[in-house]
Amino acid sequence: MDPLEVEFLAEKETVKIIPNFSLDKIYLIGGDLGPFNPGLPVDVPVWLALNLKQRQKCRIVPPEWMEVEKLEEIPFSMGLTKLLLTHASDNIPKADEIRTLVKDIWDTRIAKLRLSADSFIREQEAHAKLDNLTLMEINTIRTFLLDSLNCMYKLRSNLQQGSSKGQFSNY
Amino acid sequence: MSDALSDCGSDASHDGGQEDVMTPAELIEKLEEAWLNEKFSPELLSNRSEVVECVMEQLTHMEANLQRVKKGDAKASIHRMEIDRIRFVLSSYLRSRLQKIERFFPHVLEKEKSRGEGEPSLLSPEEFAFAKEYHANTETYLKAVALKRMPPNLQTVELLKAVPEPCLDSFVFLRVKEPQENILVEPETDDQREYVVDLEEGSQHLMRYRTISPLVSSGAVQLI
Amino acid sequence: MESQSYFPVQPGVGVEENFLSLDDILLTHERLPVRTECTFPRLGFLDKSSDSQDITEGTKMELPLWLSKGLYERKRRVLSVEMPKVYREGWRTVFTADPNVVDLHKMGPYYYGLGSQLLHFDSPENPDIAQALLQTFIGRFRRTMDSSQNAYNEDTSALVERLDSLEKRLFKSGQSGLNGFQSWEKGQAAQLTASSLVLNYRKRKMMDVQS
Repeated sequence: MDPLEVEFLAEKETVKIIPNFSLDKIYLIGGDLGPFNPGLPVDVPVWLALNLKQRQKCRIVPPEWMEVEKLEEIPFSMGLTKLLLTHASDNIPKADEIRTLVKDIWDTRIAKLRLSADSFIREQEAHAKLDNLTLMEINTIRTFLLDSLNCMYKLRSNLQQGSSKGQFSNY
Repeated sequence: MSDALSDCGSDASHDGGQEDVMTPAELIEKLEEAWLNEKFSPELLSNRSEVVECVMEQLTHMEANLQRVKKGDAKASIHRMEIDRIRFVLSSYLRSRLQKIERFFPHVLEKEKSRGEGEPSLLSPEEFAFAKEYHANTETYLKAVALKRMPPNLQTVELLKAVPEPCLDSFVFLRVKEPQENILVEPETDDQREYVVDLEEGSQHLMRYRTISPLVSSGAVQLI
Repeated sequence: MESQSYFPVQPGVGVEENFLSLDDILLTHERLPVRTECTFPRLGFLDKSSDSQDITEGTKMELPLWLSKGLYERKRRVLSVEMPKVYREGWRTVFTADPNVVDLHKMGPYYYGLGSQLLHFDSPENPDIAQALLQTFIGRFRRTMDSSQNAYNEDTSALVERLDSLEKRLFKSGQSGLNGFQSWEKGQAAQLTASSLVLNYRKRKMMDVQS
């Protein structure tokens, strides 16, 4: 999957905004939004929040986990974090510090992920529980890991080949 | 908006039929689930024409409404953004199905041929036409560029053998939507033993597609 | 997003071959040392080192995999296939000691593919060969992964030059994951660029104009 598609999925998440305009409730296909009143916080999907922000129609309230102290505790959505840091950094306290921290945490987590991938292959395991992995993390290693597991599977089925040789197809 | 769904709602649920009427929001969710499942499953999944048709209907209905709105309307631009997003998912979903049909066409057609009566069809009527045409074009092409110059006994290629089958033993990433108990995990090597795992709601796993493919069709797990 | 308009058929890996895979077609051209176990009448012209009309029994020669596989029969001995040295015990010991030191491109480049294909020919060593292929792959996995996931925006030719063709393919898929992520992170992913097809087309047009 393209990272932009992971980002697309992150844009579906909900974020709180403080609008500076008024508008009645909107009946979208995916659900109702609003009403919007100046100064009153309201929940909207990220794609709308970013659009309103770009048109200077709102301020985005950063999600509460988006703080230096909290980022290290939970696996955060890289897609959402980057979207907010890119398009709404003026609404995020200590944005630069968070940006550096996010990068460091990402590098650590990816290094750990590779370690687990290697042990999954080495031990020839059949199942792994990965509750802490975010979609962006899965996505960076997906093709490589799945292709490798496939190759390994085929090489392992060679071991059974020993007994049933002799009939090859015509190709 | 719910009036637009009245003629779709009754047959919209593919699996089990507990939900008789879907809200438009649930419908969009179904489309997104189908999209990701199709993107990540190694084989072509059963078609979800009923979802596709209902979404199309929703979009047409909404676009017709927007025609009547005057330019510069604040709400209209938000509606248009949402329509664009839904359209993107819809086309990406249909495109990934077409790509799989191109990759596996002889097997897809074979499966469709051997399907028992009453079983849901793998392909939508449009996809079926596409697959047949793709098959015919491939055969014509192979004949024209090479086969007709071969000795008579070597002029056929059995496409079912020549085109690789989807590998159901591929691993997939998944998230559990409905908890499952006692899923049997087959051993990978001779010195391992088979064991069972419980899939808790919301948990994520990496395992073989073959083990959980029925759960994908039933909607109990979501490929990610 | 996925701009690829043509999806090449992947090689089969293991004992299966994919008929429409270019990699597998190249693989079947790999030459194997064989010994004829009967006379091949009137085919002497194929063996340039002899003047006789027939290929006599006991002749040692090299045949491509596809031909050896086609002629090989278990019941009636037509030819026997000799293991290329990289699959023999001596080399297997080297692989067990440290699979990462071996230049699989030079020894291959179809080390895994050809090795798997050899299992079609009867040999008491087959189980050991199959085991060696698997263990070599596992032993080299970490290095293939790390090099493919660390090399961003640099010349990768040194990293891939010792990889077998299968590992090279994996290296590429690792790189595409890394590059996709990196350019997304830098915000380049959202910019549209002309496809390489269009660029090449323009280049060609330029050349037409110049000539």
